[in-house]
Amino acid sequence: MRVEQQSAFVLQARDYRETSLLLEVFTREHGRLGLIAKGAKRAKSPFRGLLAPFQPLRIGWSGKGELGVVTGVEAVSSTLPLAGDRIFFAFYLNELVLRLLHRHDAHQKLFDDYCLSLEGLLVDSGWESILRIFEKRLLAELGYALLLDKTGVRDGELDADTLYRYIPDQGPVPVNGQESQGILLHGSTLKALAAESLQDDESLREAKQLMRSILGIYLNGKPLHSRRLYQQIIAFRNSVAV
Amino acid sequence: MADPQLVDGLKRALSCLPGVGPRSAQRMAFHLLERDREGAQQIVDALSRALERVRRCIRCNSFSEQEMCNICASPKRDASQLCIVESPADMEALEKAAVFGGMYFVLMGHLSPLDGLGPDDIGVDRLLKLVGKNEIKEVILATNLTVEGEATAHFLAELLQQRDIVVSRIAHGVPVGGELEYTDGGTLGHALTGRQEI
Repeated sequence: MRVEQQSAFVLQARDYRETSLLLEVFTREHGRLGLIAKGAKRAKSPFRGLLAPFQPLRIGWSGKGELGVVTGVEAVSSTLPLAGDRIFFAFYLNELVLRLLHRHDAHQKLFDDYCLSLEGLLVDSGWESILRIFEKRLLAELGYALLLDKTGVRDGELDADTLYRYIPDQGPVPVNGQESQGILLHGSTLKALAAESLQDDESLREAKQLMRSILGIYLNGKPLHSRRLYQQIIAFRNSVAV
Repeated sequence: MADPQLVDGLKRALSCLPGVGPRSAQRMAFHLLERDREGAQQIVDALSRALERVRRCIRCNSFSEQEMCNICASPKRDASQLCIVESPADMEALEKAAVFGGMYFVLMGHLSPLDGLGPDDIGVDRLLKLVGKNEIKEVILATNLTVEGEATAHFLAELLQQRDIVVSRIAHGVPVGGELEYTDGGTLGHALTGRQEI
């Protein structure tokens, strides 16, 4: 099978043999896949410097089975100039896609969401809200959409000021005092997440806790490296702050 | 016929090398045992000597046979400039070019969000201690121009700028003897944004 000129991003590139790269690629039409780029690190390789994360690409490959071989690479534009901490947030998106998408399952809408989120990280100051919205859309695309527009009890209406517990597979349930399961959050946070407009600190914090707990289920409880690294960096900054 | 246990063990040991899979390991094992026993003995000797004597330089973190490596121990080097690189190979490349007279610090890696390599894995503690107690006036961040290298440089710059030190990043652009026509778009972009007044 030979495929050409597919919109794609490299999620992860690892060294392979002397001069080759082993890639995890996210394509619009073919989903996530593994590719080998032979000789990509040679000084005269036409791929050199292109096969890196956050570089919008058109990529072609051949071969069937688990690993294809890269046959052509073109830059659509220059690498997205993610600076500072934005690089860590963008890697977080990559890790979510790497860990949660199955190979060869196409997710065109999610690919577009991924591009939009990266572009958002370039310009927008609300990085937390960008990550939460991507997580919400990712869950929906995988078939695990959150229940955000009604309660999980007899389809009751959500009230912005009421406290709910979000129970996985059931949805938000009004707090009744005895139940201790699930993530505690306000109706307003659920509504804001549904409308994809997380503004205040409270809804950002609650949405983060909700997403962390729900994603944890689908990640089989295994931690995300990029999140842990960012926590380490924050801790390091605080410890050496003069 | 199954391989004898010792041959099997040798193959497994060789496959710990980067880029060596089961097939290459087998080829190497058979070659050493059948055609080049002398070479095999040299590997054994060199490896055991190196394992015994090579350690990390207490100053720059690179490999060294003494407590301090030759560069760090040299009185001719300018101790006010510290160049931070990712690997001993990067340091060697700079040394070969003979363009830098200061000292080095070797991170032995870079921050890698997807592999979980964090500040502790790249010796940041040691770097900060080194910067804290020495007469370093300028730190030059010479990590690779990859996404991870940039992330590492950003993280280190932020930590170092809190002290009274000039922090700089190596320039990137058109290579010497390079023609614009044949230079890739990314490099040209960097060359233009990093342009200098003359």
